[in-house]
Amino acid sequence: MELSESVQRGLQSLADPSSFDQSSFQVLVDVSFRSLLSSKGDPAVLDQPELKQIDQILLKQCHTAATTFILEAVKQNADKSTISSCLEELTFSAERIEIFYSTHQKHKKELECLLASIGRRPAQINDVSWRLQYHMKNAQVDKVNEPFYSISLKSENEGSSEDINFTCTMEQLQDLVGKLKDAAKSVEKASQM
Amino acid sequence: MLLVLSEDHKEHLAFLPKVEPAVVREFGRIALEFIRRGASPKIYEGAARKLGVPVEMVQHGVEGLMFLMTESSKHMISEVDFLDSVLVLGFGEELNQILLQLYLQHHSQIRSILSQLPSNLPAYHSLEWRLDVQLASRSVREQVIPMLTIHLLLTKGSDSISRVLQTDPRTLLHLISTLEAALASMKTSHARRILRNIK
Repeated sequence: MELSESVQRGLQSLADPSSFDQSSFQVLVDVSFRSLLSSKGDPAVLDQPELKQIDQILLKQCHTAATTFILEAVKQNADKSTISSCLEELTFSAERIEIFYSTHQKHKKELECLLASIGRRPAQINDVSWRLQYHMKNAQVDKVNEPFYSISLKSENEGSSEDINFTCTMEQLQDLVGKLKDAAKSVEKASQM
Repeated sequence: MLLVLSEDHKEHLAFLPKVEPAVVREFGRIALEFIRRGASPKIYEGAARKLGVPVEMVQHGVEGLMFLMTESSKHMISEVDFLDSVLVLGFGEELNQILLQLYLQHHSQIRSILSQLPSNLPAYHSLEWRLDVQLASRSVREQVIPMLTIHLLLTKGSDSISRVLQTDPRTLLHLISTLEAALASMKTSHARRILRNIK
């Protein structure tokens, strides 16, 4: 894993028992994971009693380095040997590597989901509602007497939801469903490869 | 059902018996052309000059014909009703027949033109799909996420709307089962009864 100099320095300080004793090390590791997973930035995240003794500037540098390292490891889907060898080079003891790795395993899935949700993509369809109606007449034409469907696709894009509404005849709906079924068949075939 | 023609309308159409039947046929052709493509005032001027009558008279005559045709097509009135409605204008037999022929030949075309007017609801046109697997993104490497990209084409009046949407396999199956239930609802006895009886 490629890490910048400031991240390397921050991690080295974190590894150093004279800066962080065992309990403050554990606390900083936990706090780093927690601050990534909480939805709101908490300015008081580093206000832990075990961390009070440490120089505040050093504390912030180590916290930043730790969170950067965590994100990089999750992004690259780094395995145990990659993480271990990386931390070993940065003078982490085997015990501290173990503590870091087990916390990493605990939170890895959640962090992966979080990272995967970042980014632009087209609106995602999550539901559909429909109405069957009988069109009798309108202002321009009398005696229309045709059934039709009103379809509403519910979609969501980055938190905001949008309804896509349209009408279709029964034949068109059959065409639409037929195409969706073709798509489902191809998904099934692909999953069996 | 009988058409009720207003006094103004009757006045406008009163021009027709004063000209040759061939001219009435020509006006009928012009009226239909205008229903199809929109009015063009130059034609009124040309016709008025040839007949030696004021432009307004020609214009009213053609517009009266247009309105007679569109109203009759809108309500899908029968031959008998059409003749009875036109009777009130006091035209001769030949003229009535010309008007009737005009109506019978073109009423379904006029109806389809009229039905294109009220499309303020987007209507389904077509759907294209493709299956992709996302392997990586800027924030995560090493992914395996299957996704369906759907290109939905809708028409709204004369414009077309194009939407690109995505969904995952599970939602796709949910969409399919929901829409199949929608199709099945048309075949229930309740729906059949209504469709049969309201004609």
